[in-house]
Amino acid sequence: MHMDNRLMDALVEPVSAVDPASWRAALDEAKSKLAGLAVRRAGATRFRVTDHEVRTAFRSDTDDAVHDDPFAWTALTARRPIGVAAVRLLVAGAARSPLEAVRSRLAESGRWVRDGSSSASQLDRWVESLSPAGRAAVGAEAVTWATRLWCALDWSMFAVPPVVGRDHWWDSPHSALLALRGRADVRTADAHLVVLSGPRRGSVRAELALVTLVESLRLRGDDRPGRVVGWWPDSGHLVRVEPEPAALTLGAEAVELAIGGAGTPLRSAA
Amino acid sequence: MVLVAPRPLFRPAPPGDATADRGTGAEVLALLRGDAAARPRFDPGLAGGLRAWLEDAAYDVVAARGEHAPPLFLGPRQLLSPHDEQGGPGHDWVAGDRGDRSAGAATDHRGDGATDRVLLSRLVQALFRQLVHTGEVHDPLADALEALRATGDEATVRRAESLPEGARAVLAETLAVHARNLSGLVPRFAPGWMARTNDRVAIPLGGGRIVLHGMFDLVVGLPQPRTASLCAVGLSSDGPWAVARRSLHYLSLLETLRSGTPPFRLALLESASGRYGVEDVREEHLRAIASHIAAWLERASAGPTNAHG
Repeated sequence: MHMDNRLMDALVEPVSAVDPASWRAALDEAKSKLAGLAVRRAGATRFRVTDHEVRTAFRSDTDDAVHDDPFAWTALTARRPIGVAAVRLLVAGAARSPLEAVRSRLAESGRWVRDGSSSASQLDRWVESLSPAGRAAVGAEAVTWATRLWCALDWSMFAVPPVVGRDHWWDSPHSALLALRGRADVRTADAHLVVLSGPRRGSVRAELALVTLVESLRLRGDDRPGRVVGWWPDSGHLVRVEPEPAALTLGAEAVELAIGGAGTPLRSAA
Repeated sequence: MVLVAPRPLFRPAPPGDATADRGTGAEVLALLRGDAAARPRFDPGLAGGLRAWLEDAAYDVVAARGEHAPPLFLGPRQLLSPHDEQGGPGHDWVAGDRGDRSAGAATDHRGDGATDRVLLSRLVQALFRQLVHTGEVHDPLADALEALRATGDEATVRRAESLPEGARAVLAETLAVHARNLSGLVPRFAPGWMARTNDRVAIPLGGGRIVLHGMFDLVVGLPQPRTASLCAVGLSSDGPWAVARRSLHYLSLLETLRSGTPPFRLALLESASGRYGVEDVREEHLRAIASHIAAWLERASAGPTNAHG
């Protein structure tokens, strides 16, 4: 782990120009596809397409480590939400180190739960239910996650402080049952950084294209979003998805695949 | 105990004689800090050269296994096992393990002795993390089990809790010894040291068909481009010391491949005895371990199981 020049370059380099007509056509096509998917899901239960659904949809039967265990809070699943909250404190200058920031965030959980604050989330309640040793384990995992991100970027290079750990949602205007989530851990004026874990996988470009798609759908007019950069701290490996028409197409196809893989018989329902 | 070779920085306490009141944690800290002005600068081409060496060896394995074979995950357990001095692939080399200590089921097939060692190792590891981040342990067994439960390692928790009362008492006593030694050994890091535990490294070779992986027990220091500025601390709960030391060299190689520079200094803490050692990372350590892995891969490509995925 180190201040990664390649990663910084990927976040600050300007995106390449794209033919506006091609971009508009790809965006219209993606919107049309999503509208069709929303209509097909009429009467179904609400479906949220996230990077997890895309990853699952792309997974082949022969992939190893296929676990469909129900979600549960553990130090591993909690490290990102606590970690991004800690990095947010560091960016704001409210903490001097990842350890201090994580401790502050965990203490906040305790206060919110004890005070009955409406800010207390399921995660806060789980953290507060742990013994001190359990909380230390959760904190240790979050400190490692936050330190890797904090030390990998030269935060002083951003003209405007980046937004840390804010997921963006797009709700279909055609159906209240369909929503897409774009997860990014750091958002700058020109790029969206996604911290990746697990092995390199064939689905990763589609996972990142979903972020491009969500950003594009949220923008007004034909504005283009920034580049999406996937980064594995384990290896330092980067994947860049440029805001190009092909990314919109890939993102929309990923959503279609995710919804199809969720049990809705797309063709028969159409 | 010869970790400090080739240039001893500190003589360790005699086996079994290191206790919490000896202030060894402060000594470890002083040794890790060293002389900040003398941090080594490694050849910027070193990482590229090491990678090229390993990529060449990996190519033969990928060619032998077939391009569509599933990724081969290789960690220190496969590559550095003292029982596999020939370096060739054993019967479980394809399955690999991903260095995930929460994968409690991965060792269920082992004999009782090995299972006990793995159980103890995981419990000690949990206490080590707690000491690094909080500086204190109250009830070693209870704390370790609570920590493992929070990390989702239910298999290890169940294994410990299902032990007969007598065996559990022995485990608690053994763990208390490790905890006492660690309390003396583990430095109290100021927040500015950026101490982080369980820092996983995974380096893909052959287009991701082979993954060299491992996990630093503890990394400290602020990263600086082109200068080796990190220290890595390894924990050994049951030895052998030489293998634990080699694992640190292996992890230093992976860090070199990941970031371009290795840690500049390593410390190995032995929780059973309270011994420790500190050494600088040198290019010859990295070359030696890269040579070992390349030789292992060459043998693997020629081995009888190379075509199996």
